[in-house]
Amino acid sequence: MDELDPVIHAQARLRIMAALSTLEADSSISFPRLQELLDMTAGNLSTHLRKLEDASYVDITKTHKGRTPITYLGLSKKGRRAFEDYMDTLRTVLGEQP
Amino acid sequence: MTDNSGRPDATGSSDSDADEPLDPAAMYALLQNQQRSAQIQMGDFVWLITFSWGVTWLVGFGALWLIDGVDGFALPVPVAVAVFIATLVASGLLSAWLGFRSGRGMRGNGAAAFTGTVYGITWAVGSTAIAILGGGLRAQGMTADLAAYYYPCAYVLFAGIMYVLAGAIWQAVPSLVGGLWLVVVAVAAAFVPYPNHYLFFSLAGGLGFLALSAVSVIRLRRARAATNGGNRG
Repeated sequence: MDELDPVIHAQARLRIMAALSTLEADSSISFPRLQELLDMTAGNLSTHLRKLEDASYVDITKTHKGRTPITYLGLSKKGRRAFEDYMDTLRTVLGEQP
Repeated sequence: MTDNSGRPDATGSSDSDADEPLDPAAMYALLQNQQRSAQIQMGDFVWLITFSWGVTWLVGFGALWLIDGVDGFALPVPVAVAVFIATLVASGLLSAWLGFRSGRGMRGNGAAAFTGTVYGITWAVGSTAIAILGGGLRAQGMTADLAAYYYPCAYVLFAGIMYVLAGAIWQAVPSLVGGLWLVVVAVAAAFVPYPNHYLFFSLAGGLGFLALSAVSVIRLRRARAATNGGNRG
């Protein structure tokens, strides 16, 4: 049996990856909007995003809108593949066809 | 990492539960719930758009129906047409603003921007084409009685098809259902005697949109409940 990717296999990070997976490829979402969608605290979201960033699963772009800094987040190609692999493994574990 | 306010991380113990995996079946359910919740929340404006169009149809087409009067009460033509146009413009502006606002915090790729622009322009092109075609048909002898059918039926049919397309492009089921309903309403209205076809548009279209709005509210509440259900980090 395949191992479930430990980077994704935690409730908070799975929720982040699942929400980001609904965006189209090369699209991204601002930190506050993602926080709103997930209903997580900023600190908790930052902590888990850092773990996903360390694994290169999430692309983080920092930019400015006027004088306000904005952080945009999206799945990297590696992250999207890892998420699909995670889903396939989960389905296999649950006895479904991947 | 910092959040957008530049505050440092709060890396306390609050995330300890969220760091624990559940059993595989629960994780799979969490994954699917989160995807569904994100998609529905990104369309959290749909209920307001469908509600405003429901009111517009009820009031706007209701006003046109009242031109010919019922039980001794009739609206003067300029008043009825003004009400029809005012409600139409108000809903159009609200829809455009909500659609624009829905993109807040999102950065799309080039393909998505192209799709959105083409879709938006198609509304303008189609609406203009229907008006010009109507002018041509009038020049070829279409009577005012027939024009009272041509314009609303053509616009509603076109709107229905555009809603279906929006449903297909953005995977929005309410839009798909509403669009198919409008196509049915547009075709069926042509068989309803004048001026009751306006009443038919008013009730079938208006109540249809209000029902869609109610469904959208229920879906949104469920999605938010699923997100908040013990998942707060």
